[in-house]
Amino acid sequence: MLLEVKEVKKTFNKEKIVALNNVSFSLNKGNIIAIVGESGSGKTTLIRLITGLEVVDAGTILLKNKVVSSNSIFIEPQFRNVGMVFQDYALFPHFTIFDNISYGISKLPNKKERVKEVLELVGLSDKEKNYPHELSGGQQQRVALARALAPNPELLILDEPFSNLDVILRNQLRKDVQRILKETNTTAIFVTHDIKDAIEISDKILVLQNGNVLQQGITKEVYEKPNEGYVKLLFESI
Amino acid sequence: MFICSFWLKIKIIRIQIIHILLVIRTLHNKQPLKYSIKNIQRDTNKWSIFLLTIVLFVAIPILTVFINLIYGPGETWNHLVVNLLPNYVENSLLLIFGTSILTLFFGVSSAWIVSRYCIPLRKQLEWLLILPLAIPSYITAYAYAGIFDYGGIVEKILGIRVDVMNHLGLIFVLSISLYPYVYVASRAFFLNQSNNIIEASKLLGAGEKKTFFKLILPLARPAYIGGLILVLMEVLNDYGAAKYYGINTFTTGIFRAWFSLEEPETAIYLSAILVIIIFLLITIEKWQRRKIGYFNATKNHQKVKIELISNKLKIGFFTIAFIPVLFGFLLPLFQLLYWAFLTYKEVFTFDFIYLSLESLGVAMISAFCTVFFALLLIFLSKWNRLSSMKSIAKIGVLGYAIPGAVIAIGVLIPTLSLDKWFVLFMKSVCNIKVGFIINGTILVLVYAYIVRFLAVAYNPIESNELKFGNSLSEASKILGNSNISTFIRIEYPLLKPAIFSAFILVFVDVMKELPLTLILKPYHINTLAVKAYEYASDELIAEAALPSLFIVLTGIIPILFLNRLIAKES
Repeated sequence: MLLEVKEVKKTFNKEKIVALNNVSFSLNKGNIIAIVGESGSGKTTLIRLITGLEVVDAGTILLKNKVVSSNSIFIEPQFRNVGMVFQDYALFPHFTIFDNISYGISKLPNKKERVKEVLELVGLSDKEKNYPHELSGGQQQRVALARALAPNPELLILDEPFSNLDVILRNQLRKDVQRILKETNTTAIFVTHDIKDAIEISDKILVLQNGNVLQQGITKEVYEKPNEGYVKLLFESI
Repeated sequence: MFICSFWLKIKIIRIQIIHILLVIRTLHNKQPLKYSIKNIQRDTNKWSIFLLTIVLFVAIPILTVFINLIYGPGETWNHLVVNLLPNYVENSLLLIFGTSILTLFFGVSSAWIVSRYCIPLRKQLEWLLILPLAIPSYITAYAYAGIFDYGGIVEKILGIRVDVMNHLGLIFVLSISLYPYVYVASRAFFLNQSNNIIEASKLLGAGEKKTFFKLILPLARPAYIGGLILVLMEVLNDYGAAKYYGINTFTTGIFRAWFSLEEPETAIYLSAILVIIIFLLITIEKWQRRKIGYFNATKNHQKVKIELISNKLKIGFFTIAFIPVLFGFLLPLFQLLYWAFLTYKEVFTFDFIYLSLESLGVAMISAFCTVFFALLLIFLSKWNRLSSMKSIAKIGVLGYAIPGAVIAIGVLIPTLSLDKWFVLFMKSVCNIKVGFIINGTILVLVYAYIVRFLAVAYNPIESNELKFGNSLSEASKILGNSNISTFIRIEYPLLKPAIFSAFILVFVDVMKELPLTLILKPYHINTLAVKAYEYASDELIAEAALPSLFIVLTGIIPILFLNRLIAKES
C-alpha cells in the first residue's frame, strides 16, 4: 500500500467548519484515484493534508507504511517526496522554464538531462529558456506537470489541473496527462469537480460531499452501480 | 557547554509554551485533552519559539509601561491630577475634536473633487494634495509662527497681525499638515468605487448634491474614519508643535514629568492614560468598520467618471481643492526657503553637513533593522504552525499606535536597569569598573525606532506577500526546499520591491521623528529633526529652516512614489 488515509478529520475556524469528517481510503502503487466533489466538499483540504501543507485534527496518514501525519507526528512537506500540480500552476515567475523544472532536483548530478527528459515527455523541449508568462495556459500546465514529475515523486497530486483551460485544450491535455502518468507508472491523486475527467483518467474514484465520503471504489464499478442521491445524479449528468 | 544550556532553555521554554497554550485551547474547544496536548506538541516548532522571542522583544516597552503602574505614581501626582491633568485632558480633547473636523473637511472634499470633477490642473492636484505630509507638523508650526509674526508675510501683505500661537492656531497647523491621511484614504476609496452606483442614484432622481451627501459620504465612511484615526494618533504623538505654541498636552506633560520633575513614575501614569485613550480610539474605529462587507458590494466596476462642469463651478471647486495645497505645502515651503536664504551662510557649515550625514546614517540603520524585524515577524509567524501564536504575533505591530514619548520611556526603563545590573555584576564578580553599555549608545535609539515603526514596514510587505499567494511557497516546499531556502530563492526575490518601499517609508519616518529621538538620542549624536527643534527652542527659528528643508526634501520622494502606487493599484 503506497498511501493510506485513516479516519482523517479536519476542522477550521475553531471547529465551526468541518472540512473533513472521518475520511479513509488507500491507494496502491501505480494506481490513479480521482477525488470528485463540488467546491467546498473538502477535496482540496484532503490533498493539503496528504502533502503536508496542513495538519490533521485527528486520524492518520501513512506513506509507504510510514506515518507522516497524525496527532503526534508531522513530517514537513519537503521530506515527503510527494509532487503536486497546483490549480494555478504556481510556476515561479522570476525563473525560466529550465530553472523552474530543475528547482526540485538541484542536488541531482545529472539534472540537465533529467530536465530535458521531462520536457520531452510533455512536448516542450524548445521552451526551456522562456519565462512562464511567455507561455500559453496549456503550455504552463505542461511545465507544472514536468516540474512535479522531475524529482520522481512517490505520489503525484493534480489539483483541478484543467480547470483554467478551454474545452478543446482540456480534452487534448486529458489524453496527454493520462498517457504520461501511465508511461511513467506514476501513482496519482487526481482532484476534480468534473466527473468526465475522473472517468477517463482514474482507476479508482472517491466522491466527497461536505467533508463526508459518499462512495468509493473501482471507477468502473461505481459508474455501473452508483449510490442513490448525489453520486447517481453526478453520473447522470454526463 | 553554552550551546547545550541554550538548547536546554529552549526545551524548557517550549514546555512552558505548551502548557499556556493548552489552557487557552481547552477553554476554547471541546476536543479531548489528550488530543490537545499531542496537537500542540506536534505543532510547536523552533519557529514558534523564535517568533515568541521577537514578539516579546518588541512588546517590552509597552509592557514596561503597564507593569510599572504597580509601583504607584510619583510624589507630584496628586498635584498634577488637581492642577494640570484637567488642562491636559481638555487640550487634548479640544485638539482631537478640532483636527477631526478640519482634516475631514479638507481631506474628503478635495479627494471627491479631484476624483469626480474636471477642474484645471486636476492631475497635478492629485499628487500635490499629498505633499503636506512631507513637512512634519512641528516644522509647519514653525513656518506659521513666522508667517503670522511681526514683519511676516501676512502683516506685510494684508497689514493685519493675527496671533496663531494658541489653541486655534495649533488646530489649524496640525490639520493642514495631517489632512493627507484622510485624503489618501478617501481617494483610494473613490477610485475603487463603481460608477454604476452614482448613475443609479442619478436615474432615481437624486441631484449631484444629494448623491454626494446621501450616498457617497456614508459609503466612504470606513475609509475616511480610518484615515482620521491615523491623524489623531499623530496629533496625540505630537510634541514639537504643541510645545512651540505653548499648549500643554499629554505628550508635553510626559516630557515635563520626565525631565523637569524627574519623576518617571508620573510620566508612566500619564503614558498609560494616553495609551488607553488611543486604544479607545482604535476600538471605535474597529466598531465603525464592523459591517465593512457591504461597502464593496459591486465587484466588477466602471471607474467613477470625470464630470464636466460649468466654469463657475470649476473655479469654486478648484479653490476648495487648492487651499490645502497652498496652506499645507506651498506657503510653509516658501517661508522655509525665505528663512533658509537669510540664514544659510551661518547654518550651512561643515558641522551641518556632518550632522546631515549622521542623520541619514541613523535613519538608514534603523530602517534596515526595522525591515529585518518586519520580515522576521511575517515569516516566522508563517512558518510556525500554532494558530494561537499567529494572533499573538499581531501584538508586534502595535507600536505605531503608541506615541513616541511613551515608547521612549518604555525603552529607557528596562535598558537602564539592565545597564545598572551589568555595572553591578562587573564590579562584584569581575571587579572591573565599567560604564553603561547600552544606554547612551545608538542601540537604544534604534531599538525604539524598530518598536515604533515596525508596522510601517510590516504592512506593505505583508499585503504584497498575501497578493502573490501561498501556492508559490507551497510549491517550493513540496519540491523539497526548506522554509529558509524557499525564502531565499522564491519569496525574497519576489518581495524585493515591497521590501524596498517598506525601507523608504521607515527611513522617512525616522528622519522626521522628534519626541522619541529627543528622549533617547545619545549625547554625541544629533539628527536634523532635533537640530531644527533646538534652533526653534532657542528662538533661532529662521536658522531652523535649513535642517527642516532637508527633512522635507527626503520626505517628498517617497510620497510621490506612494502616489504612484495608489494610482497603480486602482
